[in-house]
Amino acid sequence: MIWIFLLLLIGFSVLAYFGGRGLAARRSVGMRAHSRPGQHGLYALIWVGVPALAVLAAASIFSAPLERQMLAAGAPDSVTQLEPFRREAFFSDARRVGEGLEAQQIWPAPYAEELPAEGRRAHSISSALNWGGGVAAVIAAILGGLFVFIRIRPDLRARNRVESWISVVLFACSAVAVLTTLGIIFSLVWDSLRFFNAVPITEFLFGTKWSPQMAIRADQIGSSGAFGAVPLFAGTFLIMMIAMMVAGPIGLFSAIYLSEYAGRHTRSVVKPLLEVLAGVPTVVYGFFAALTVGPAFRVFFNNIGAMLVGGPLDGIGQYLLLVQNQMALVAGAVMGIMLIPFVSSLSDDIMNAVPQALRDGSYAMGATKSETVKRVLLPAALPGIAGAFLLAISRAIGETMIVTMAAGLAAKLTLNPLDTVTTVTVQIVTLLTGDQEFNSPKTLAAFGLGLTLFVVTLLLNIVAMRIVQTYREQYD
Amino acid sequence: MTEAPVDMTAAHARSERLKSRLRGRHARETRFKWYGRAAIGFALVFLVILMGSIIMQGRTAFYAHSVTLPVYMDASRIDRAYPQGANFEQIVAEQQVRRLGIQDDASGSKTAAMRALFSSELKFQAAGMIARQPSLLGQTVPVAAPLSDDADLYLKGEITKATPQDQRRISNEQMAWLDRMKASGAIRAHFNSALFTKGDSTQPELAGVLGAVVGSALMLIVTALIAIPVGVGAAVWLEEYSPRNRLTAIIEVNINNLAAVPSIVYGLLGLALFINWMHLPRASPLVGGLVLALMALPTVIIATRSSLKAVPPSIREAALAMGASRTQTVFGHVLPLAMPGVMTGAIIAMAHALGETAPLLLIGMISFVPGVPHALDEPVGALPSLIYIWENASERAFHERTAAAILVLLAFMIVMNAAAILLRRRFERRW
Amino acid sequence: MTASAEPASLTRAPTLGAHASAPLGPIKIAARGVSVFYGDKQALFDVSLDIPDKTVTALIGPSGCGKSTFLRTMNRMNDTIPGCRVTGEIEMDGGDINDRKIDPVLLRAQVGMVFQKPNPFPKTIYENVAYGPKIHGLASSKGELDDIVQKALKRAGLWEEVADRLHSPGTGLSGGQQQRLVIARAIAVEPEVILMDEPCSALDPIATAKIEELIDELRERYCIVIVTHSMAQAARVSQRTAFFHMGKLVETGDTEEIFTNPREKRTLDYITGRFG
Repeated sequence: MIWIFLLLLIGFSVLAYFGGRGLAARRSVGMRAHSRPGQHGLYALIWVGVPALAVLAAASIFSAPLERQMLAAGAPDSVTQLEPFRREAFFSDARRVGEGLEAQQIWPAPYAEELPAEGRRAHSISSALNWGGGVAAVIAAILGGLFVFIRIRPDLRARNRVESWISVVLFACSAVAVLTTLGIIFSLVWDSLRFFNAVPITEFLFGTKWSPQMAIRADQIGSSGAFGAVPLFAGTFLIMMIAMMVAGPIGLFSAIYLSEYAGRHTRSVVKPLLEVLAGVPTVVYGFFAALTVGPAFRVFFNNIGAMLVGGPLDGIGQYLLLVQNQMALVAGAVMGIMLIPFVSSLSDDIMNAVPQALRDGSYAMGATKSETVKRVLLPAALPGIAGAFLLAISRAIGETMIVTMAAGLAAKLTLNPLDTVTTVTVQIVTLLTGDQEFNSPKTLAAFGLGLTLFVVTLLLNIVAMRIVQTYREQYD
Repeated sequence: MTEAPVDMTAAHARSERLKSRLRGRHARETRFKWYGRAAIGFALVFLVILMGSIIMQGRTAFYAHSVTLPVYMDASRIDRAYPQGANFEQIVAEQQVRRLGIQDDASGSKTAAMRALFSSELKFQAAGMIARQPSLLGQTVPVAAPLSDDADLYLKGEITKATPQDQRRISNEQMAWLDRMKASGAIRAHFNSALFTKGDSTQPELAGVLGAVVGSALMLIVTALIAIPVGVGAAVWLEEYSPRNRLTAIIEVNINNLAAVPSIVYGLLGLALFINWMHLPRASPLVGGLVLALMALPTVIIATRSSLKAVPPSIREAALAMGASRTQTVFGHVLPLAMPGVMTGAIIAMAHALGETAPLLLIGMISFVPGVPHALDEPVGALPSLIYIWENASERAFHERTAAAILVLLAFMIVMNAAAILLRRRFERRW
Repeated sequence: MTASAEPASLTRAPTLGAHASAPLGPIKIAARGVSVFYGDKQALFDVSLDIPDKTVTALIGPSGCGKSTFLRTMNRMNDTIPGCRVTGEIEMDGGDINDRKIDPVLLRAQVGMVFQKPNPFPKTIYENVAYGPKIHGLASSKGELDDIVQKALKRAGLWEEVADRLHSPGTGLSGGQQQRLVIARAIAVEPEVILMDEPCSALDPIATAKIEELIDELRERYCIVIVTHSMAQAARVSQRTAFFHMGKLVETGDTEEIFTNPREKRTLDYITGRFG
């Protein structure tokens, strides 16, 4: 429905362009106009198209909630008394029936009778809203056209008007970035507040038991919800540490080699290859971790365990025999490898920012390259490298797919890399992809976790970027 | 400031001191260099192992086994008007058991074992033949269909006698039958076109990536249509129009931070805003495209800005000096010159968006979506989420298909990145 | 040169310093047929020059003439530039510096360098001066290291000003002080030769004067080669001068000779300011 009006709108706008252009040409015969006819045409197009587009957009955004409200307001009592989830399903089926499709569920007696009538009502409501929106848009277009018709004159500064519109549009594009941030904050905070109404924030931040089951019925026994996120924080931290222990040294050393030792030819081969490693999607790393690295590590540790059993380290041996595929070590190691190009390229930039004069001064003293790096360059680059590491940590904390596929679901509070742990991001995915009732604390917990994640990574990023900026300013 | 001249023995001692340390210093230098080489080598070796392992695991998915059996269309068991109702699987299995000269027992367990070797597709093939040509009833016609996923795995060597019989899904007896059918030519291996022409399915032998590819393509179109104009517009405003004041600085910091926000947070945003509040359809390319567009936006903005910065100020000054307005300068001169860099950045941003998985899972692309999508507002699957779903599947045959799907995804990404690089090489101007 | 042209042109030549005619030491560095190539481009053509010990030798010439390039051959700093090739012989202490077997690390402990823009490391003053002795292992105890640092700072004329703040950052000093710090750093490893590449061009006149005074003091212990684009400075500070032009060594001689009675016309034109 909307598409027809959109096409109409486009047609009107095109007409307006040609009409405005022709009109401008006619009205400025013999005189010198400020702007060219084409620019008048654009002016007309904008004034016809933009208000109508705005009305159409508003209509499509607000018609859905409005329709819902109207449908709910006039519904028969039996339907209103249904619990929210079932009510929604009923209305959704009513809409389907209204459009001539079959209902998705079989409804028992009292509801089944209401269905056809409700279906017709739903259909008429949505048609009314659609037509109303469309007609309003057409009226807006006509009004815009009249406005322009009066205004087109030789002394109309059409070009300037059009250009101000253009810069407004461009500003709006930039504003989208700000709106996105506001949207993120708002949506996370809104749903987190609802979560913290049900689960106190102190329990969330400091509780050590994570068992997000909620009672389905009020009288169900045996499922309590425990929403203490500390094991999740611990798991995230453990995997992040393992990842940084892999990515940090390897990334830094490869950056040092590339920036101080490698010739142009080597750089031109190695850097693109590292970019390839950086471009591999994380789901591929997750697959690799789950199906290749996990079993390989398990077999390795099991074998060591088998060798140790019966000897002096029997206890350790027995433990190693029971180690599972989903160790924190696996997820951490693969995540570290994923981060190597990130750390390497950031460190490379940082090292290149150190002025050549320092290198020259050190070489002229008779220092070797490694001595120059260790004693002069790294200390000079240290703030920048610290910033780079913070950014990598932020990335590690926010990473989802590798841990979802390679780490587990058991919320354990441990620092043992051979244990199975779970992280904040894994739980967000699990909570939102299981059976969902949208208002239960279980699904809202995901937003609480999301807010925590967002705040932590935001702080890390801000601090890191500030450090790197200060470092860069020092050498410019 | 005069001092006694340096005496020769002191100079000699110093020189000896210097030399004695030299070996250690050079040794440390060599070690340090090797650490660097080792680090790079490790990363590259890992890349090779990663690619190699995925190729090794995925290559078997590109071929599959099918069986062609002569089937006697028993008119007493097939309803001419409703051939789909006939139990073709049982019919074919019984006939094949007899053909191989196997004695069945009272409970029909051998026939059941034979049934397990063929895909359910067999039924549809046979029924379809009868539906199209009812005159075939009473005749013996060759019917071709894929083998079941476990039979296929056996013939590919994935299921072997090394595993104890009670732990595998193909018994020794079934293995013998398959060998016989292969030897007699009834079974042949061929290119697994189902992988590329079909959508997802619960049966691995009928599962393909086409649905997910189309879904990803639809989503990327939406993403590109939103992220590229808005991103370029924002970058143009920031770089060419904005007054350099606090507001602009805040917007810039904002964009840099958005680029570093974890992707799962965007998924939460999509869930809360587009699905819960705006009630857009779940798992549709529309919602997926919107979420990915928001993710790609900072990247496009940053890449466009650096392309705009690279255009020398003299171009702008020349145009302005001719009396052009700022808008005419930007759109007529600066932006066209910056275009190659802008397009390169846009393509690379799209390539990244193609590989994103976490936000898609949160907006609902985790459920099973059969068939091939063709609209923007119905639920679809995407390649990365398909990989995730298949990775979690319990059937072993999905293991090789997951690797194959990964190869398809990587192929698309390689093509896109190569296109971006070629574009950059061809059109880049060095000022 | 006609009698009438002579006084007029020479009145524009720089005034000689008081020590322009001090006695010269034995030859410390002898360059023979040295050419330097950056890739395919040749920057120095067949330069042969003797550098006497305990003397200040100035290399002058217009910008781009190769004097800095020649300076850098003497401590093999050109090795750090990829694609740079040096041919010819540079003899010091009976051996050719350019020989593959000579370790540049050792060479640079004997031949120190001071750069145009002062480049102290972002470390403390003490750590800056102690850098060389530490890496070369010249001190076996902290006390010894302290002595070396103090001696170097004294010789560089900086000790009084920084003795009470040895552990403050070297980058916190003024330009002239930083340059003296860098000289102290170079001296701390007891080199025999000090190379200076336009050491005063980034300094104000007062700091410049101090550095020139220091150079004259250092002359008694070290062989100093200084590249300068200021002829006045070369005339003030050096005993020997070599004039480079377009990669070739045009003329060399005692400073007094070069600035009062040059043999080559190009030299005369340069020192009277007709070009460069």
